[in-house]
Amino acid sequence: MLKQDLINRSPVCKILNPDTISQVKFGAVLSRAGVGKTQFLVQIALTRLLNNEKTIHVSLSDSMEKINLRYMDSFNKLVDSIGYVDPQKAKRLWEDINRLKLGIAYNEASFDPKKITDYLNSFKKNSNELPSILVIDGLNFDNDLSDLLAQLEKISDTFNISIWFSMKTHREESLCADGYPKQFENVKDRFEKALFLNPKDDKIEAMVLKNGEDADRKYLLDPATMMPE
Amino acid sequence: MERDLKSVRNIGISAHIDSGKTTLTERILFYTDRIHKINEVRGKDGTGAIMDSMELEKERGITIASAATYCRWRNHDINIIDTPGHVDFTVEVERSLRVLDGVILILCSVSGVQSQSITVDQQMKRYEVPCMAFINKCDRSGANPFKVIEQLKEKLGHNAVPMQIPIGLEQDHEGVIDLVKMKAYYFEGDNGEKVVVKDIPENLAEEALKVREDMLDKVSEFSDELTDAILEEQEISEELLMHAIRQGTLERKLTPVFLGSAYKNKAVQPAMDAVIDYLPSPVDIDNEAININNNEETVILKSEFDFPTVALAFKLDDGQYGQLTYVRVYQGCITKGNIIINTRTGKKIRPGRLIRMHSSEMEEVEEIPAGHIGAMFGVDCVSGDTFTAPDINYTMLAMHVMEPVISLSLKPVDNKSEIAMSKALNRFTKEDPTFKTHVDQETGETIIQGMGELHLDVYVERMRREYNANVEIGKPRVAYRETITRKADFNYTHKKQTGGAGQYGRIAGFIEPCDEDFEFNNKITGGKIPTQYIPSCEKGFQNCMEKGPKLEFPVTGIKITIQDGAYHSVDSSEMAFVAAARGAFLEAYNKAKPVIKEPIMKVVIETPNEFQGACMGLINQRRGIIEGSQEEGVMSVIEATVPLSDMFGFSTVLRSGTQGKAQFTMEFSSYKKVPQSIAEEIFKKKQEEKTNSKK
Repeated sequence: MLKQDLINRSPVCKILNPDTISQVKFGAVLSRAGVGKTQFLVQIALTRLLNNEKTIHVSLSDSMEKINLRYMDSFNKLVDSIGYVDPQKAKRLWEDINRLKLGIAYNEASFDPKKITDYLNSFKKNSNELPSILVIDGLNFDNDLSDLLAQLEKISDTFNISIWFSMKTHREESLCADGYPKQFENVKDRFEKALFLNPKDDKIEAMVLKNGEDADRKYLLDPATMMPE
Repeated sequence: MERDLKSVRNIGISAHIDSGKTTLTERILFYTDRIHKINEVRGKDGTGAIMDSMELEKERGITIASAATYCRWRNHDINIIDTPGHVDFTVEVERSLRVLDGVILILCSVSGVQSQSITVDQQMKRYEVPCMAFINKCDRSGANPFKVIEQLKEKLGHNAVPMQIPIGLEQDHEGVIDLVKMKAYYFEGDNGEKVVVKDIPENLAEEALKVREDMLDKVSEFSDELTDAILEEQEISEELLMHAIRQGTLERKLTPVFLGSAYKNKAVQPAMDAVIDYLPSPVDIDNEAININNNEETVILKSEFDFPTVALAFKLDDGQYGQLTYVRVYQGCITKGNIIINTRTGKKIRPGRLIRMHSSEMEEVEEIPAGHIGAMFGVDCVSGDTFTAPDINYTMLAMHVMEPVISLSLKPVDNKSEIAMSKALNRFTKEDPTFKTHVDQETGETIIQGMGELHLDVYVERMRREYNANVEIGKPRVAYRETITRKADFNYTHKKQTGGAGQYGRIAGFIEPCDEDFEFNNKITGGKIPTQYIPSCEKGFQNCMEKGPKLEFPVTGIKITIQDGAYHSVDSSEMAFVAAARGAFLEAYNKAKPVIKEPIMKVVIETPNEFQGACMGLINQRRGIIEGSQEEGVMSVIEATVPLSDMFGFSTVLRSGTQGKAQFTMEFSSYKKVPQSIAEEIFKKKQEEKTNSKK
């Protein structure tokens, strides 16, 4: 019951259809530095955790402790947003979903999809349920990542796992002709879902770049909680 | 022994396994002329380091039991306790920290702050032991002491301040620059015994000045005089600076950091100077005891020789001349032939032989005064006992001791071995409070319990080697527990009328889950159960906790509330209410949805990056939950929680899965409910065991 309430409260539920989040091969959250890409990615992963699905969160910039703190913080904010919840109940739920989450901190230079493959293979080998979503935070899409994305696409196919990326854009860069940031324009064909976060006055505007027929929709979010207005 | 206590240091050397604790101790003993030849830990000469005095330690290259030793440096007595690096032997580390005044925390300049350093650090915090850090192995490829200093700050929360910078690193490591004296130190001679002091090399002058500036900034917090001197741009004297560093260290608000390479004989002597200059003497530390005769009031002990004696036995050893009891004297003096009392037993003791230890060699002394560590021969006691003068009745604060999580059955092969085994077990349980033993009443087997596989493994080996006890060992068993998951009522009447005096007692109330092991709540009003029978009710319930009705594992986490009852003026008795409580417990227990809990271990694996995925896979195979994984240079650290029952034989699997390049540590984390499928397996196994034992 609490789980479903939290899923319903999640900004992901309002903006991107949560049921299809783990069905796409690649998804992305774009914004310039400090706007809230990682926070939104964590919210996406949280909806999957609340649905009893395993998730892996790979960060190329945050430490393991910081990754774990981000999840706990986002969970607490989500709980607070629905008013009073029995703290014991919330604690038990956190313990339940926390066991489904794995945070891995890599150095950008040494990030190698083979390590992820090795790890995912161990699930298969032991007939364990595979994670449904892999979040990769911190890849630099200013570089040519074609080879890496091809390898990750293979992982997505082999293990039937949805991979979500953060994509950093730059303030000074103008958008391309079709309204996409440059970093996304180069790889757009690989992605089925994408959301672009942009500061607007004291709010954040979330523009759906790709989401089937729901593209181009816009939402205003509270920057502290990422909740839609 | 040194009477000026300002010239005494009781220090420990603590760190992660293989950080070089024993090597550093060996070098200290060499430079203080306590030994005349340096042996390596895994000695090519087959000798092994002096501090690893037990045969098994020499063979495995690990330090198991803390060996105490003393040496003199700059006219100071330094008592050193070498401590084990394996988490399985943490009780040894804890006991050492209880009696020490300061610690050298050794860190590897390549691996940095590792899991065991974190455990040791928590223990140091618990006992409020001031410390300094020594970043060792600066000669190793990949050495980066500044990264380690950052880790000390980030991972352990220390205000770590470098007191030195290295002159070269890896194969170019030549010495250190002292930022207090602003001089360069080189170590010459075959064993680095010749300390050569020179001016700072030009290429390092700028860096030295910069790091010193930062150091002054941090240290000035501990001295107004120093702050004034810095603000007024006066010359800063060495004494002023050292006083401020010492002050910060004693307050545990600053960790001075030193560096070098014990193995290559670089910069050990400046670290020894730092022990004298910055770590506390016994008079700098407040030690507390409990006055049993005065409502267990806390008493601050005084390091005065003519005050009544208070001493703590912190380690026992079985030597060729009988039991050797290591003691730390906190107040007064233990003198040969003078009576002291063991507070626990009330027995009078007249120590016949007092000694000061130098690892396995000993030096006879007439007295062990306050502030010193020594040993007594032929005193019957257990580890943790307090000895006092006859006119006082103090006990030192109880040491924090963890409950064992694993057990093993032992079967002696013959009569001779049975006697030897019994002797050995008697000794080990006295030495180590986390090692327990009992006889299983159903199977007649001797069961030993401890903190991990390695812990029990070492005791079994010691039994074989030191006592010639030939024993067969059973499979390790996990210490499961039972508990309840919901509230349930009881209303039970115990009634017996079989001729003679009858038995009658009725108890009503409820049981519910709680965080404590056992709680008893009496809410009886109006004398429905007379006051004199309430303790019997509690006793009856408590008896039921020893063996749970579900699978006969100990029961924990139950709160019992009694709120109604009845008695009979003739037939009620204490025994009747004990029986009624038992009946009430059994009545409510099954309604309260009992479950089995298992010990969950916190496992930290350190592996080269290329095996990270494979290691995470190994955890996956063992019902483990990976909390996270972090790359640190060429190594990855994986933190996970895994049920103990799935960790048996893990070291072998990890070795073969990583070409022997990964290592792991494991310590008890918590008890968690066993999944249903596993609970069914346990149930089946237990049934089989019962059937077999009946046959």
